Amino acid sequence: MLVDFELIERARSGDDSAFNQVVQAYRKRILGTIARLIGRPEDVEDVGQEVFLRLYFSLDQLRTAEVFEPWLYRLTVNAAYDYLRRQRRRHESRMSDLSEQQVMMADAAAGGKRNVEEVRRTKIRETVDDLLGKISEEDRILLTLKEVEGLSLKELEKIYRVNENALKVRLFRARQRVLKAYEAGEPEVGE
Amino acid sequence: MDRMKDRLDALWTEYRDATPDIDAGPNFMPQLWQKIEARRVETTSVFRRLAQICVMATVALALIMSVVLIPTTHNDEVFYSGTYVDALAAEHSNDYVDVLAAADLR
Repeated sequence: MLVDFELIERARSGDDSAFNQVVQAYRKRILGTIARLIGRPEDVEDVGQEVFLRLYFSLDQLRTAEVFEPWLYRLTVNAAYDYLRRQRRRHESRMSDLSEQQVMMADAAAGGKRNVEEVRRTKIRETVDDLLGKISEEDRILLTLKEVEGLSLKELEKIYRVNENALKVRLFRARQRVLKAYEAGEPEVGE
Repeated sequence: MDRMKDRLDALWTEYRDATPDIDAGPNFMPQLWQKIEARRVETTSVFRRLAQICVMATVALALIMSVVLIPTTHNDEVFYSGTYVDALAAEHSNDYVDVLAAADLR
């Protein structure tokens, strides 16, 4: 836990300054998770604000402060899932629509200042984002939480509110699907 | 297959390193509080509108009841202008005739 239970209890009882402190403590971690879940840096803050907005209006439903982190992760997953669904509905092509970061990278490249390490990182991000774009939003979020965020099965159980066996089955199927997409794409990065 | 699996596992790790946690810009908190306030106002106005609708519906119902139902109820009622004894006599007048008729038969 990044904050103590007492602070969460105070935020629950309507103390705005306590809520502010909770947001400040978790902001960086949640924004990082969102960035990896949605893959579009320019929309990360918007989705992050949506997460904390939902947190503010649902804190009174939190049973105990002990389950705060899985609760916050669940809100993050739901907000990311809603965002990805909206994006898919808009038929936005992830690869053709360059993000701000990618545009900056392109500008830097044009100026001849592009750093080799940054080029490699950008290529990895593009490859994984492209790969995750080929599977469903549910698989994408589950795999990112497990493989990239490094959450344990126990933590995922609390977030998804399903038992370990059901979770293992879902993970296995998601892994199979992403592996299939990876084999079909045969990207050259990571070597 | 296993080779691909290993490559994919390595790619997840590289992806994690390539996307470090980012902190928010200076406008993150002010914008968040603006959104919270906007949602609060929205929720309050929805409740206010709901309360107004309830009050209007109650007033309309009360008016309908006073215009339609109350006069109808009053028309159905029977008013007695005589005394209790008169009303009793009127109710049992046939019984008295029957008694007299029985006496004549004897």
